[in-house]
Amino acid sequence: MRTDEKVTQDVTGIQAADIEAVLDPVEADGVYRDSRQCAALALNSGSTSLLLSPPTPRPKKG
Amino acid sequence: MEQSGTSTRLQAAVQDLASGVVSALRGGDHAHVVPPVGTDGEAGDLALAAVRVLGADALLPGLLSRTPPDPAELAVFRKAVEAYPPRADAAPTVRWSHWAMARTLRRADPSSAEPPDEPDTAWLDGATWQFFTHQLAVLAPLALPGEDCAVSRLAAGRPVDVARGFVRAVRRRDWRQAAGAGRWLTLLPGVPDTVGLEAGLDFVELMGGQDPLVTLQVQAARRMRTGARV
Repeated sequence: MRTDEKVTQDVTGIQAADIEAVLDPVEADGVYRDSRQCAALALNSGSTSLLLSPPTPRPKKG
Repeated sequence: MEQSGTSTRLQAAVQDLASGVVSALRGGDHAHVVPPVGTDGEAGDLALAAVRVLGADALLPGLLSRTPPDPAELAVFRKAVEAYPPRADAAPTVRWSHWAMARTLRRADPSSAEPPDEPDTAWLDGATWQFFTHQLAVLAPLALPGEDCAVSRLAAGRPVDVARGFVRAVRRRDWRQAAGAGRWLTLLPGVPDTVGLEAGLDFVELMGGQDPLVTLQVQAARRMRTGARV
């Protein structure tokens, strides 16, 4: 640990690494919405055209 | 992965601070968003670290309403800038976050030192739209009307990618990312109308509004959509 880092830690009690970890987050795993929430969004949108609706199901091959 | 106690307490302090900023953005009291500099002990340490994590947005209400900063608030903000410079091996988002704070400090108090040179944007060269949007969302405090920097210029060149990233974040229920991307979209030229930004932001707040960090970005976006400038 560099001297200036040690001083910072002594002053604040929090390691710079703790802060930098929060400032450089990895992307959270996706949790996809269910159809009821999609419907709520559609109602919310009024007459607006949204890209937020789920994609149209494609016919299965074979 | 289990979070350390320090990390948990830090994140709680950030949430508290963000709640204060949200209240101020909604028109409430903005004089005491940032805790006074005299706060001692662990509470003071955590508060200072929380200001560093929230970054330039800690002073956002005053900037958008063009009210002079409270001297005590400004002192804490300055102390956070000085106490937590980016380490030598810091990630680009950490460097940019610190640069944004230095820029805001200079704007709030012109007698402060000039902000350092902008960090580079090499890490965004050739970034996929997914990664690009995620990084922009992390750097949402840079999204300010009339404030230019290398990151905002890159964002201005990829509005459709950011719009796609916003939609993707909503569909992944990543409300923080969606809110940050939405804030950027309010400022970018060439955003497709079909993205439904207004309704999308409403939905993000509806679904993720229990998290003050989400609400902060949504409120910031709304203020900027109504023409607030820094």
